[in-house]
Amino acid sequence: MVFGILFLGMNANAQNPQAQNDTAKVLEEVKVTALAKKKIQTEMKMAVSVDEFLASSDNISFIKRGAYAWEPLLNNMSTERSTITIDGMHVFGACTDKMDPITSYVESNNLSTIDIKSGQEGSLHGATVAGSIDLKRKSTPFTPEKKYSGAYQTGFEFNNKQFFNLGNLSYSSDKFVVDGSISFRKAGNYYDGNNNEVTHSQYNKFNTSVGLAYKTSPFSAVRVDAIFDKANNVGFPALPMDLWLSRALITSASYKQLFQHGLIRVWDTKVYYNAVEHYMDDTKRPENLVHMDMPGWSTTYGLVSRANLKRGDYSAEIQLNAYNNLSIAEMRMYPQDRSKRTMFAYSWPWVTTKFTSLAMNNSWDISENSRLNLGGSLGYNYNRSKYVEFNWIFHPGTPQEKSRVLPGLHASYQLTVKQFDFSAGAGYGHRAPSVSEGYGYYIYNSFDRYDYIGNPDLKNEISYEANASAGFKNEKMGIEAKANYFYIQNYIIGRILSLGSPMNYQSVGVKGYTSLNHARIFNIALNANYNILQHLHWKGMLTYARATDDKDGNLPFIRPLSYQTSLHFMYKKFGIQTSLNGDFTQRNFSPEYGEDQTPAYMILNVSANYSFNIKNCKIVLQAGAENLLNEYYSTYADWGNIPRMGRNIFTSLKFSF
Amino acid sequence: MKKAIFFLIPVCLSVMSCTKEKTDYEAEINMVVTEHYEFKEAAAINIDDYHISIEALNGTFYKGYNEIRLKISGANTNENINAPAVTFLPVMTNADGSRASCPHRYNLVYNADDKYFPGYAVFTGESGTNETWELYISFTINNQSHSVKQAITVQEQTNKNLNMTTFTGKDSEQYFIALVAPQKPKVAENELVAGIYKFNEPTSPPSGSFPDPSQFSYSEVSDYTLQLDPRMPEPSMGNHSSINNKDLTQQDDGLYHGVVNYTMTGNWTLNFIMLNQNGKILKGTEVPTDFTPGVEGVKSELYIDILF
Ligand SMILES: [Cu+2]
Repeated sequence: MVFGILFLGMNANAQNPQAQNDTAKVLEEVKVTALAKKKIQTEMKMAVSVDEFLASSDNISFIKRGAYAWEPLLNNMSTERSTITIDGMHVFGACTDKMDPITSYVESNNLSTIDIKSGQEGSLHGATVAGSIDLKRKSTPFTPEKKYSGAYQTGFEFNNKQFFNLGNLSYSSDKFVVDGSISFRKAGNYYDGNNNEVTHSQYNKFNTSVGLAYKTSPFSAVRVDAIFDKANNVGFPALPMDLWLSRALITSASYKQLFQHGLIRVWDTKVYYNAVEHYMDDTKRPENLVHMDMPGWSTTYGLVSRANLKRGDYSAEIQLNAYNNLSIAEMRMYPQDRSKRTMFAYSWPWVTTKFTSLAMNNSWDISENSRLNLGGSLGYNYNRSKYVEFNWIFHPGTPQEKSRVLPGLHASYQLTVKQFDFSAGAGYGHRAPSVSEGYGYYIYNSFDRYDYIGNPDLKNEISYEANASAGFKNEKMGIEAKANYFYIQNYIIGRILSLGSPMNYQSVGVKGYTSLNHARIFNIALNANYNILQHLHWKGMLTYARATDDKDGNLPFIRPLSYQTSLHFMYKKFGIQTSLNGDFTQRNFSPEYGEDQTPAYMILNVSANYSFNIKNCKIVLQAGAENLLNEYYSTYADWGNIPRMGRNIFTSLKFSF
Repeated sequence: MKKAIFFLIPVCLSVMSCTKEKTDYEAEINMVVTEHYEFKEAAAINIDDYHISIEALNGTFYKGYNEIRLKISGANTNENINAPAVTFLPVMTNADGSRASCPHRYNLVYNADDKYFPGYAVFTGESGTNETWELYISFTINNQSHSVKQAITVQEQTNKNLNMTTFTGKDSEQYFIALVAPQKPKVAENELVAGIYKFNEPTSPPSGSFPDPSQFSYSEVSDYTLQLDPRMPEPSMGNHSSINNKDLTQQDDGLYHGVVNYTMTGNWTLNFIMLNQNGKILKGTEVPTDFTPGVEGVKSELYIDILF
């Protein structure tokens, strides 16, 4: 929505009323096709982390390695299968152990929304199987008068002594806009439901962002943005090592042009550059007899250019993506006798990825109440491993360079009949293996305790997808059922290699990434809401997923039957919320991939807030408790079955003007 | 606006620089290993009207395998000449006066294309107070034979990838294994080349004037097999090994060629089992294959340590 907002601001000044109407319409279309989450806060908690916010979505689940930087799974698929972008910019983590998903490099006070698209509908940003998650940054619109706005939020969470301060400030005028944000979070170790301390679960995060926009003409604007994020001394209780320092610098410059007439309504082009560095630390773990340095770097530059088209009942988005990424990760092991020579290898041997894609989404309003969407993308993916000799150890003679063509197609039909709406769709798409899957070298996975070896010759993963939804809505209630099914050919997963011996101290063997003939993933979600009284609202959600490999064995990290239900009561300036969420027993777990059965759990949360105004300043006070009953539990996706946080009392205070 | 950008650029540059430097991989390997590929004069002798020049890599004789190039020219011309019956014999004298030689090529044959006499010597020790080395060279030109001896210095081989070992086989023969290549291994598949030699026990007492070549006879063994199992001995590496290695077998150049894969830089042990042409084990034991973190790797009774 970034450009949407910017767009509106410019539009307020547009002289042609006809253009104003049309462009507003364009915006609507964009909004309809995007299944965006509205505000970065959940009903329970107003000061959430990006992870907590994402967790409230029905098609997102998480792999958790600690209290920080959760890996988002979209449609029960890991991050290799989805494209995660910040305002359409590709950023790649620098950690071979996935300690730094892209979501860890932003903060809730510099985001406006998170746009989640399921399956091939998400191919606008690049080739994908699971879909796309686009983190949209805040950007204040131009205003006719000079205006300042801002917010400051602080809070304390008792369980892990998390103290946070988030501030953001904007200035806007007719020609010029400045957005800035800054945040600090500091947390100690958390305590589980048995009141035991979970050591190595602390974290420290600093994030700041700045954005400048300048209106170059009534219909065009330039904008430069930068985010700087730094996390240090972050514990990962489920891993044998922690994070010493992780830094990211994410920059972009964009130019947007609006058109009053013609087919093209908006054209927005952005160039970007981002650099991520990541340094792990295993010196704080006494169980490590061996010390090892594992630094990683990921540098990406790219271009994203998009246009919105509209004529009559037809509207479309076209997007061109191009990026170049260089991923480097090193392993340096220290012998017990430190005077002796260290041992060195690359876990990512300077792997370059160049990717270009052209994607288009088209929609036709066939009638008042039906719409057809048709989209496609064509991508080109190129990889080069500079020190290919590392890859040759397991794949002798494999080419140093590899090119792939990644096509994608999707179609859907939406129908509204009175208060009911229905949709059905299908998709087809390819994705290329990730850097680790293709070129990883002895990457230690502490979940199954294997060292993983990439395979540059892996085939493209090919997804065939079908989805459908049906819903009913009136003033009093709403109910919606959504389901999707993926049949994925050449599904990439690690398989035990009978040859080779492990390199990492704690590993038990070597696994190579290989392609299963196919895998099948089925997701279903049921959402309902009911307004019991004018100020008493109920919401519920039920999700279920099932995933199998080509031998009908279970795939790992698939969410069991789970539920979320909440009541929200408002009285004058008070609000009270209570929610219950949990998973049923994980019946379809995968021992083959290192999983054991996770028992059922149920968590009760409550919170209350009070809001009032002092002059132009709105103040909200909130206090609440998560896991009120102090249940001891871990979820199906908790790496190494580490227990989750026990009872956590949180308080926060927010000023905004 | 413009001011802001000018302000931002230096800020960006300062945060863009990395906290830790990336490893320079080439320099990383060069740190421990210096690769020599230039032949330079290591010894020069003038005898009668002739000049003999012996070239070795880096102009130095090292303990272990040394490829040598012997050139004979007229004292006043730079023209290299061919001569029949050139012999080459390195002799080591111990502090107690006893003498021995080392694996070497005794009869040198002229290579007309390159205009020198190719040969080799596998020096078994370094020159020092207890050990001195001399080269005995003889040749015949125009039916006139010339003999000369020259003291040389054998230096320590600092490149462990050119290590050697000496042992007595189960057949009671004395064997020598010397690594020839790679000088500078990579984390990769490397062609591993070694020479395997044995000492031919003299059948009769020394005769004639010193040196009697029959007392100092060595030969390249034929059709043996050197089974290979490379492992990282460091306890932290838990007996780590690699895949796709190939045992060493003899090729046309008389040397033994195989393949070794190094998965990372550092200390490696090449564990060997030497089999004779009939497949009988002459030396070496199988090593355990399990991953044993924290325990120093068990070595075969026949092994060579390398480092890169
Ligand atoms: Cu990491």
